[in-house]
Parts: sequence; C-alpha cells; structure tokens
Amino acid sequence: MAFVMMRRDKKDEEDGGNPFKNIEKATVVQEARTFNDQHINTRKCCMILTKLLYLINQGEILATVEATETFFAMTKLFQSKDVTLRRMVYLTIKEMSKLAEDVIIVTSSLTKDMNSKEDLFRASAVRALCMITDGSMLQGIERYLKQAIVDRDRSVASAALVSSLHLSRENFEIVKRWVNEVQQATSSDDHMVQYHALGLLYQIKKNDKLAITKLVSKQARHSLRSPFAHCLMIRIASKIIEDDEDSKGSSLYDYLESCLRHKSEMVVYEAARAIVNLKSVQSKDLSPAVSGIVIEQVAITHPLSVTTCNLDLENLVTDSNRNIATLAITTLLKTGSEASIERLMKQITSFMSEISDEFKTVVVDAIKALCLKFPRKHLTMMNFLSAMLRDEGGYQYKKAIVNTIISIIEENKDAAESGLGHLCEFIEDCEHTSIAVRVLHLLGKEGPKTLSPSKYIRYIYNRVILENSPVRAASICALAKLGAQVPSLKESIVTLLSRCMTDSDDEVRDRATFCVKILQENSLNVSVFGLERALMHYVKTDMVEPFNLKSVPVANTRTESKADVPNVTTIQKSATATASKQDLLAEQLARIPQFASLGPLFKSSDKPIEVTESETEYVVRCVKHIFQKHIVFQFDCTNTLEDQLLENAYVEIEPSDEFEVESTVPVATLAFNVPGTTYTCVSVPEDMDLMTGSFVNTLKFVVKDCDVNTGEADEEGYEDEYVLEDVEVYPADYMQRVLKSNFAASWEELDSEHQSEETYVLSSISTIEDAVKEVTDLLGMQPCERSDKVARDKNSHTLLLAGVYVSGDDVLARARFAMAQGQITMLLTARSQNETPLALVHKAVG
Amino acid sequence: MGLFDRFSGWFRSKKKECNILCIGLDNSGKSTIINRLKPEKTQQLDIVPTIGFSVEKFASRNLSFTVFDMSGQGRYRNLWEHYYKEAQALIFVLDSSDKLRMVVAKDELDSMLKHPEIRHKQIPLLVFANKMDLKDAISSVTCTELMGLKEIANKPWHICASNALTGEGLHEGVEWLTGKS
Repeated sequence: MAFVMMRRDKKDEEDGGNPFKNIEKATVVQEARTFNDQHINTRKCCMILTKLLYLINQGEILATVEATETFFAMTKLFQSKDVTLRRMVYLTIKEMSKLAEDVIIVTSSLTKDMNSKEDLFRASAVRALCMITDGSMLQGIERYLKQAIVDRDRSVASAALVSSLHLSRENFEIVKRWVNEVQQATSSDDHMVQYHALGLLYQIKKNDKLAITKLVSKQARHSLRSPFAHCLMIRIASKIIEDDEDSKGSSLYDYLESCLRHKSEMVVYEAARAIVNLKSVQSKDLSPAVSGIVIEQVAITHPLSVTTCNLDLENLVTDSNRNIATLAITTLLKTGSEASIERLMKQITSFMSEISDEFKTVVVDAIKALCLKFPRKHLTMMNFLSAMLRDEGGYQYKKAIVNTIISIIEENKDAAESGLGHLCEFIEDCEHTSIAVRVLHLLGKEGPKTLSPSKYIRYIYNRVILENSPVRAASICALAKLGAQVPSLKESIVTLLSRCMTDSDDEVRDRATFCVKILQENSLNVSVFGLERALMHYVKTDMVEPFNLKSVPVANTRTESKADVPNVTTIQKSATATASKQDLLAEQLARIPQFASLGPLFKSSDKPIEVTESETEYVVRCVKHIFQKHIVFQFDCTNTLEDQLLENAYVEIEPSDEFEVESTVPVATLAFNVPGTTYTCVSVPEDMDLMTGSFVNTLKFVVKDCDVNTGEADEEGYEDEYVLEDVEVYPADYMQRVLKSNFAASWEELDSEHQSEETYVLSSISTIEDAVKEVTDLLGMQPCERSDKVARDKNSHTLLLAGVYVSGDDVLARARFAMAQGQITMLLTARSQNETPLALVHKAVG
Repeated sequence: MGLFDRFSGWFRSKKKECNILCIGLDNSGKSTIINRLKPEKTQQLDIVPTIGFSVEKFASRNLSFTVFDMSGQGRYRNLWEHYYKEAQALIFVLDSSDKLRMVVAKDELDSMLKHPEIRHKQIPLLVFANKMDLKDAISSVTCTELMGLKEIANKPWHICASNALTGEGLHEGVEWLTGKS
C-alpha cells in the first residue's frame, strides 16, 4: 500500500501541479453517478463536484441532458449533513443554474437551509436560491428573502441584499416591494450590510430623482457608519450635482466637503476625487480639496484639473516627506511646460536615491509621458534614464525603465542610436533574464536600421558566451536577424552562429542550426503577409496535398522604394509601413466576393498603366493582377467633368484569342473627382502561345448631367462609352522576381534536361548595358549576383536571372551577351522544371 | 469501493438505512406527515407548499429513514422520476376528502408503477389515506377500490387512514414499513 502511495506521489510531482489537468468531461459525468449511491462518501463527492466546477469554469460545455442528469444526481447530496459537501453543492447549483433544466427542484431544500439553524448554510443558500429563481418563482420565496434582508446575521443580510440587487435587473417590480426591509437594513451596525443596503436602495429608487435627492440628504445627516456606504453616497451625490446644473446642490456640496474631514482615508480620497471631477468646480472650491493629503493621487488621476494648483505643488516639492515630494514633482512633470523640465529633473535627481522603487517607477512613467510629449528633450531624458538604469533597483523598476527606453526608441527615431547604446551597456550586467531577452529582441529588430549595425554584434555575442540559456537563445535570434538584414555582416555572423551549434542547451543549439541554415540558403524570401494569406487559404481547403511554399507570393525585392501611386491612396494611407504594396492590393481584392475563388494572388503589376491621356474627361489607370488561371484588371477611374455624374461604370474588354471575360465588377457611381474602381476578370488560356496579347478596352457608363453648384444630378441619364487605350499582357506578367543568393548552386540543381537554349541577334540595341536592362524587363526576372552591372569597355557579359513562374516553378535564365562589329548577340539559356515558362522566356525575347 | 465499503458497512451504526420516496398530489399532506414523523424538537410549525423536493430524516425502532419529500404540484410531478431509481420504499399520500381528484391520484400512481425504474422492483408501497378527520372523507376501503390497489401484484402494499395534524395512523404505517424493509 505504502509503496503504491509513494509511486502515486512521484507521478503527481511529474505531472507538475495541476491535478485536474487530465480530467475529462465524460469521466466526471460518469463519476457523478456516485451521488445516487445510498451511502454518500463525502470526500469523494466533494472531489467530483470540484472537478465538475473546474470543467465548467474551464469553458467545457455540458449538454442540457448531461447537465440535468448530473444536477439531479447532485440534488441527492442534500441528504448529507456535511458542511463542506453542502457548500460545494451550493456552488455547483449556482454554476449549473443556467445549464441544467428544472433547477427549481432544489427550491424547497434551499429555503429550508436558509431558515436552518446552521449559520454556515444560510448565506450561501440565499445566494444559490436567488440564482435558480425566475420571475414566476420569486413571489413564492419573496417572504423568505424579505426576512433574510433584515436578518441579524450579517452574512445572511449581505447575501440577501446583493442577491436582490442582481434579481432587480430582471424583476424590478418585485424587488421594489422590499423597500421597507432594505431601508431598515441601511441602519444596520455592520459596515458591509449598510453598504449593500444603500446600494440596493439606490438601485430601487434610481429612476425617481426626487426620492434619490431625499435619500442622499437624509443619509448625509444621519452620519453613516460604513466608509463603503460613504463612498457610494459620495458617488451618488456627485452624480446628482452633475446631472442637476441649476440647483447648485449646495447642501450636497457641503456634504462632499464635510467628507474631506472624515476619519477614513478612503472616504477622504473619494470625496476629493468627486470634488475635483465636478465639471462646474471653481478654483476656490478646489482649494479645500487640494489641501487634503491625497492631493497627489488626485493630481495623478486628473492632471488637467490641477494645473491651476501647480503653485501649491511647487511648495510640496520641498516637503520633507520624500514620497509626497516625488508625487508632486511627477505631477508637475506631467502638467508642466517644456521649459521647466530640466529644472525639475535636477530636483528629482537630488533625492532619487532616497525613495523606494515604487515611486521611482512613478517617476519613470512620468518621464515616459514627457518624452512622448516633448520629443526634442529626449537627450536629457535618455541620459537621466541611463543613469537610473545603472542604479540599484528591483525587477519592476528596471523593467519600467527598459520599457520606457524602448517606447522612446519606437516613437522617436533620433533617439534610437543612443537608446540602443544605453541598453547594450545595460545588458552587459543585467541579472533579469526577461529584460535581457527583451533588449536582445529589440537589438535584432532595430539594430539593422542603424548606421553601424556591426557594433551591436559584440554586445550580443558577449551574451552568447556569458549568459544562461534563454538569453543565449535570444542572442542567437538577434544575431540571425542582423545577419539576414545586413548582407555585409552575414558571413561573419554565420561563423559566430556555427560556433553556437555545439551549445549545451537544446533550444540554443536548435536555433543556431536553424538560423545558420536559413542564412546560408536564404530560402524563405516570401512575404510574411502573403504566407499568412496562403496558409489561411490552404487551411480552408481539404488539405489533401501538402502545402506548397511555391504558391506563396515572393517577397517583392524591388518595392522598397515606394513609388508614389496616386490611385491606391485611400488604402495606402491607412496601411502600416510594413505591409508591401502587393499585400495591400491583395487585401483589397480579397474583399470582393467574385474573386474569392481565384486562389492566392500571384502578382500585381508594379506601376499602373495609363489607359487615357492624363488631361482628358475621364482618367483611367489599369493594374493587372495575375492569379493562377485568371487575370483581374483593376481600372481606377476618375471623372474630371464637374457637370457629370457617371453611374454603373465598367470596362468592357474585348480579349484577343482565347481569353474569356468571366465577370465584371462595375462601380456604382463616379462623382466629380472622386476616384472609383471597377474590375474585370478574364480567364487565362492553357496554351502558352495564347497567354499573352493585347486587350481592347472600352469604358461604358450611364451619364447624368448635374448641377455644378449643388451637385444634384438629373433623373434621366443616357448611356455612353469612352474608348481606352489597349492593355498588353506580357510574358513578364507571369513571372515574379526572386533573388537567388547562390545562383550557381540553383542552376546546377535544375539539370540540363530541363533547359532550352537559343541565340538572338539584338539589332535595335547598341550597348550591352541597354541590352541587359531590356532583357531583364522583358523577362520580368531578378538579376542575381550583381550581374546587372556591366563593366565598362567589355565586349561580353553574362546576365543571371531568377524568377518564379505563376505555377510556382522556379525559372532561371542565363544570358550571355557578346558585342561584335557593333552588333549584340545573345545566347539565352533557361532552365525550369516546367516546359511552359521555358517557352515563355523565349517568347518574351523573341 | 467494493471490499472497503462493505467493511465500513458492517461497522457502521447498527441502524439500517432506508431511502423513501414520498409522493402524492399537491395539498395531500406529504410534508405535514413527514414533519410529524420527525423528532419533536426538529418539527416545524408552519408547512408551506414544497417546491421541488426536500430531504428529511427520521428513525423508527431499528431503521433510519431518509425521505425525499417531493412537491405534488402538477408542474413538478414529472420530476419525481429522477428519484425513482434510489427509492427503497414508496409512500403515496392521498387526500381522502378530495374525491374529485382521486382519479388524478390513481393516474399518477399508475404511471409511477409503470415506470421502468419501479415496475420490476419489489419495494413496499405505503398509502396514507390522509385527512381522515374531515367529515366528507372516504374510508380507506373505498380508497383501495378507487385507487385499484388490489391490482398491484409484485409489491407488498398497505393502506392506512391517517390524520397528519394529530399524528393518528402514521405510526401504524411506519411500523408496517419497518417490518417490510
């Protein structure tokens, strides 16, 4: 037996604390049948009820049938007199009151307990009873509740009052009838009962303004004993004053004022807060409140209302109580002007060492607010903060400082360098792991954006050598981020990381290995948003095939320089800087239901194509969105005619060859100078030869003449159309640029079997430089290994291009240029697993 | 469970325990009867209509009874069945002055006796023909006929006229029950 027990203990320890971790609903419901046993095993039943409560509170859903069955089984526990078990039963009744049916079955048992001699039962029984009653039942138990409200036992009275408060939401009319009992309870000796009774009384009378005023003035005279009740009274009184502008409520104000001299601090604070909060407050009224000892707290919660009493505060700065002085200063800092800051900072510094951590944290918070308010002062603040960082202090305090510095860095780019520098120094000697990890993460994020990222490597790598494993792991990630974003550092970081691959800790080793691999391959250059969207899309399918990373749009390596694109203004303005333009367009498209089935967006053309002259009646620009088997043309139209309103505008496309128009999304109205967008979706033919071509477009719409001044349009409109320029679909549209860091390796991977080669004579181009540019644009692929830079005075050049075809296949191309007798010849070799893009490459050039 | 429980069963107080389910139409006097059977000092003065059920305990010579006193009101009668399973004896209370609703009472009794949890159990059924003191009360013999008690084949049953207010007839019934359990 003992042996078994020991083993169980050991097992419990391994499970780690929560004994309920592994319980299952079905088991518990099954176990609950023990309640039906003739002999009740109290301990066991308590345990089962605990499990049941645990499950319900963890959000486990009990079906009504299950719940009802369990509930009725539980009602049989009423035959046990055990106090603990009975109280568990009360709890379970309360929890299950909304889950099970016919819970009123326990009404009589509860009313019996409510009136029993066992005081331990009574309060809980009242609460449970109120949970299970509904309006129709309430009248039946009304008598008992009224009794309970005026019960001598405080817990019973409180329970009845609070429960009545809850009941009054649904059954106001019934609860209202108990007003006499409640009134009686307000004169109770017990603080809690008095408070609860007052609360309920207010609830009952709150719709009757006169009654409330009477209530307050009456209770204000009969001084309440309970400080809680006082606080509530203050709130009620201030609400009346607030609501009732004209009466001035001078007697009520006197009451508030008298509360300032109450012996309970809570009441004093509440009163001061109420007075300060009053809208109509005059500064002379304020002064008594201000003189209270709680002024600082008040000031902190309501900085604006106390600007007037800054003078008082200045006096308090020199107060011998350092805590008060600190609060005074921070308040001044929060309310003060830019000019006074430096003086105040000096004052704080003088006694910083004398105050406790909590107040230091208050100071830090004040500084944080200041920095955001006056960004120009960041240097002063930063120095001050770094000095504080070096001081002694607890975890909370340091955390507050680091948080402040981080938020300053994020808000204010000028402060970044110095802030990061301070943080680097700080982590050199930081005993708090979580802070160090946080700083390291920040270094990884912000480091690459600074002028010299290399200097952070030393700080970070020192952590790898000196610290515990969580910090080491964070350092590795930070290093990897630096390496990924700063190409010049990549090699040395890979070397550093490879050293970590022998670390003693699993996590550190894993991360190092992972990062090295990622850095060497550079394989995951997809856009994060695109990946997320593609994964979402994938999850919605039945997931038969494994997820194909190639279907994810590639991170656009070129859109770094944000060309200003006027047509997507509305979206772009609201966009965060991190989302690339393509992601925005994709978002926009995804919102249109017709295009939801097209799958993930492969690519959108970079610059909108102007399909009208810029100074014409209607200005239209076109953006091509390439999907797996479709192209969506987005036409951004602007009506430049003041006296016209266009309705139901769409672009009719006459496709060449095999393209088929699938759907159009017209724009409902085009008012003067308000851009609108219409879409046309065409399906792309399978045959490679027919995949490109030009499209003839006509803008069709209904014109309504309208008044220039009022903008009101005529009832009648007439159909009209406007011929737009053609839009071409090029082979390059089906190609996405992608950077291959090791072109040779990728080239070898795709063996020569999947290769096509052809020679071209480029007659119209005169220099190799032009040729490189032309071919790159025609193919829509990314030049790799800087092969787009042509050395001067050379007669030959090799251009290496990489891209992803719409199907997700990698495409590589090598173009060798040679210059002879003023004529350029090009040997173009392309490799890909898929035949179509190979042909497409040649078609593009040919 | 099992062995340990059986041991503890042997060593527990000598009084045998018995679970009784007490049912009947509303206002027939169930709670009053149960209240009467309790020890003098725990008796309540006023009896109000039961909502749901209430658990009471009392003892006779060598038996301790746990009674589930159910509410007799029409809308709660369908909740009785939740307590059938554990019942080791049944008490059915009739208002013998309420001839009009005797049919309803018979209907309720029959549907209980037909219930799968009760049908095959050989548990004693005690019927109290309550309120015998009222002048228009019918005799227990008539009650037996009206309720069709004679048709009950597989259960020992007993009827006794009672007056819960004075306690008359109650102990006769409990004696019978003690003998049968």
